Amino acid sequence: MASPAQKLPVGWAAEDNQHQRYLFIETATGATQWDPPASQDGPNVQNTPPVAEPSVHHGKRRQYAAGQTQVYYGGGEAAPDLAYPAPGLQPQAVPGAQLFTPGLVGENQFATQQTHPPPGQSGYYNQAESEYINAPSFGQPPPPYGQAPVDALAGQFGQMGVGGQKQFHLYTTNLLTSPPEPRDLQRPPPEIRLPPNSCISPSPFANAHPSYQRCTLNAIPTTSSLLTKAKIPLALVITPYRSLKEGDEAVPVVTDTVIARCRRCRTYINPYVQFLEGGNRWRCCMCNMTNEVPQLFDWDQVRNQPGDRWSRAELNHSVVEFVAPTEYMVRPPQPAVYIFLIDVSNSAVQSGMVATATRTILENLDRIPDEDGRTKVAIICFDVSLYFFSLPVGSTDSNMLVVSDIDDVFLPKPTDLLVNLAESRASLETLLGRINDMFQENSIIGSALGPALQAGFKLMSPIGGKIVVLSSTLPSVGPGALKNREDPKILGTAKESGLLQAAVPFYKTFAIDCSRAQVSVDMFLFSAAYQDVATLACLPHYTSGQTYYYPAFNAGRTEDAIKFAHEFGEVLAMPIMLEAVMRVRASRGLRMSSFHGNFFVRSTDLLAMPAVPQDQSYAIEIQIEEQINTPFVVMQTAVLHTTCYGERRIRVITLALPTTTILSEVFASADQVAIATLLANKAVERSLTHKLEDSREYVFQKLVEILIAYKTSMTSGGAGASAQLAISENLKMLPVLVLGLLKNVGIRQSAQIPPDIRAYSQALLTSLPSQILIPYIYPTFYALHNMPPEAGTIGENGVILPPALPLTSERLERHGLFLIEDGQTIFLWVGRDAVPQLVQDVFDLPSYDVLRGGKTTLRPLSNPFSERVNAVIQKIREMRRGIYYPHLYIVKEDGEPPLRLWALSALIQDRADVLPSYQQFISSLKDKVITT
Amino acid sequence: MAAGWLFLFAVLYSAALLFGMVFFVIMFSDLESDYINPIDLCNKLNQFVLPEYAAHAFLALLFLLFGQWTAFAFNLPLIAFNVNKVMKKNHMYDATEIFRSLSGHQKETYFKLAFYLLSFFYYLYRMIVALVAENE
Ligand SMILES: [Zn+2]
Repeated sequence: MASPAQKLPVGWAAEDNQHQRYLFIETATGATQWDPPASQDGPNVQNTPPVAEPSVHHGKRRQYAAGQTQVYYGGGEAAPDLAYPAPGLQPQAVPGAQLFTPGLVGENQFATQQTHPPPGQSGYYNQAESEYINAPSFGQPPPPYGQAPVDALAGQFGQMGVGGQKQFHLYTTNLLTSPPEPRDLQRPPPEIRLPPNSCISPSPFANAHPSYQRCTLNAIPTTSSLLTKAKIPLALVITPYRSLKEGDEAVPVVTDTVIARCRRCRTYINPYVQFLEGGNRWRCCMCNMTNEVPQLFDWDQVRNQPGDRWSRAELNHSVVEFVAPTEYMVRPPQPAVYIFLIDVSNSAVQSGMVATATRTILENLDRIPDEDGRTKVAIICFDVSLYFFSLPVGSTDSNMLVVSDIDDVFLPKPTDLLVNLAESRASLETLLGRINDMFQENSIIGSALGPALQAGFKLMSPIGGKIVVLSSTLPSVGPGALKNREDPKILGTAKESGLLQAAVPFYKTFAIDCSRAQVSVDMFLFSAAYQDVATLACLPHYTSGQTYYYPAFNAGRTEDAIKFAHEFGEVLAMPIMLEAVMRVRASRGLRMSSFHGNFFVRSTDLLAMPAVPQDQSYAIEIQIEEQINTPFVVMQTAVLHTTCYGERRIRVITLALPTTTILSEVFASADQVAIATLLANKAVERSLTHKLEDSREYVFQKLVEILIAYKTSMTSGGAGASAQLAISENLKMLPVLVLGLLKNVGIRQSAQIPPDIRAYSQALLTSLPSQILIPYIYPTFYALHNMPPEAGTIGENGVILPPALPLTSERLERHGLFLIEDGQTIFLWVGRDAVPQLVQDVFDLPSYDVLRGGKTTLRPLSNPFSERVNAVIQKIREMRRGIYYPHLYIVKEDGEPPLRLWALSALIQDRADVLPSYQQFISSLKDKVITT
Repeated sequence: MAAGWLFLFAVLYSAALLFGMVFFVIMFSDLESDYINPIDLCNKLNQFVLPEYAAHAFLALLFLLFGQWTAFAFNLPLIAFNVNKVMKKNHMYDATEIFRSLSGHQKETYFKLAFYLLSFFYYLYRMIVALVAENE
């Protein structure tokens, strides 16, 4: 950044502070601000582009002086809940301030210093900004790519297309002139344009919703050479067991056990097959095999009369569940089994983990899935010994049995350790109420986690189920003992990736035993010290469980207790799929080549998942093995599983995609969200097999390759070429998503990230579905003090959120209240000049100075602004699928540096330390692309 | 005389190692076509990994003891390779990662197969040379 000093109006000075940005100081009053000051007399300085409206306000806004007091409620006529203006802002400017987006001047500068914005683009942006005010709400996403903004044009071209199939049209965007637009991430992926008559059902549910299954390309290249030309990785992102929120379409169930499958490739019948010979046969859409239609296919077994084939769920719905007949069972459906392994060593009890965990289990006993009354439960406590509890039926009492021989674990009693939840309810309740008191005085330090796991495994291996580990300490004795290998000296070096790999083979080999016995493990980890999350996370990783991490958990802080109790309660209440196997079949020419996610790969294409939790995502890379000659291809995911209420079922998800021979269609159909999800998985994999450095390089290189491919094949080059970095409109957010990924704790370049935090972040990166993953790498940023009047109130789709801002601290104002969230954490940023009334309204405190930063619970107060802020926070905590309940931190602009830096690190478009700003990132991309 | 017998022994020995590698190759292709699951495969193959390394190292040691420098030097790179793997603790097959690393394992196995085949003919040649030299 060149020094702006010479361009400043009289009376201002620029100071280079540690943020690599200039702070502007009005020398007379001492007032400071981030934005370059305008001269007092005219609205514009030489450097400002002629965007009149905002800069007028801008000129006024910066006039306030620090310490100048102002009656917050203005002249009494301006609506009080509209906005918290900067002190000094004239009342008549208030209505304008709602529409005024802070920092717009800066953004336009960015735009105008570049040349030739493509026609149509600049107008689109201005429109988008103002549209925010009238934006319906979150949950009603803008139209998909390819329809907006030039839908009429697309329609015209579409009519010219052959056979009525609409073609993909490519809209090139110049990354140098169009900054990232957070709203774009809410758009659905490019529309899937199947050839006419490829689907036998007119149902809108006949193709998979992206939340279940999405592909990085919505038009599949017919040859691998075409795919290689585009450089875009081809992969599926699948969340087969997605949770349903209120208003979501339930998955239809086919109950008559008539399951039509292809004889050759075992594909399930779906809306993309063809019926032949008067409907007596059907042709498989994947291998073209002609199959008999099953006899009872047209028979309504419920009413015992002929039924209507065309109303069958599997011919109208892409996502469908079949009730499986006995051929699909190796044994009768197993009951759900939960075994809780609770760490009761000194630190676990002292942190309040044991008390919170047992209370949460107690309170959620009713929510544990047990519709058929067969669910079984056991509780084993451990420190350096194991404590079993025998819970005889009909008694309200329990006996504790201690096993100290941890090298050769045995069960102290053959019965009554694993009990029926409903039958032994009374004794379970008594026990859960007593555990914390029993171990209250426990002074033993150390953990026999390995032996406890073996004991739990012995207890449940005949049936299978879920082991829930709650551990506060590094395993120290018996099999699976770990050493503290955390070494600050190797952080940030090539050796760091070693800390992210398993330290001992125990947790992998044990995971394989578990997978065989249909046992899944969930890890809840709480340690304040090093706990080797990387090694422990292997167990959930290969048994389709999940790792949850609450570093330095202390139930003494209500926030910690609430977060853990909420998330743990959700996990307990979650319906799970038991003894599941998943397989993805695809049309001839396509092959599933590698698999990412929490499961064990049992054969070349079979994924073993002892228990499938809801909202876990998997990514599967696809290879084009031979030329594809069909106009469309089909990919079908089938999950054979036992429901937690004892029914064997198959969930089938079918996705049909058109094929293409045209490179521009490949680009125009690319789904940036799916690509980013895949890259997150690939990056983590690479950081383990290679180095963290390699993984970042890999992701960056992948992006460069795509940009180069686009430049060489889709743009004409020539004179203007050096002034642009072209990419198609639908991939516009990919660079910023990649930047967010490179800055994510999981792979970020830094010597300060504890390996446990990194490992946990990596576990999230490889298991979160796109809906939660995208905010995790590209957080959301709202200004609350001047949010539009309807934000925070109830709209058609629940609470209306304020417009999201680009992730740059240029948007932070000193008098403002901002919210930054990444789905795991919420930061409430309070500017140092926040007016006392704002602090009073939101925090019930007299002034900014007495406000304390840190983890907090925001109490709703009886004033409209507080209600709206709380509604926004509530909405953010609930709007996504998944169990996560983000902590809320108050961050004061001049508060403790670690917290401030943490919150600022979420603003990924800023430069931070060695990590580039978005502009720097884009120009380094440009350099790479130009030189090749 | 000793050299002749030594190389005769080496010929038989490398033939055995060669068959061992053929077994590995077959097992990997079985895995690819789903005739065996990765857990059984790894359990089976892991039994043979260290014995194979040891057997190869033993042969090299014999060459060293008998002063067959060229034969010893011929085997040295493979010993270094094996030792390096053991030191890094990645000599065992990991069932959880086997599909991801399969092509690497296969390449390595083919390379070893070629190496043992080459050694077989080399030892055969050396044996003949030694026997001929004796008879003259
Ligand atoms: Zn078929």
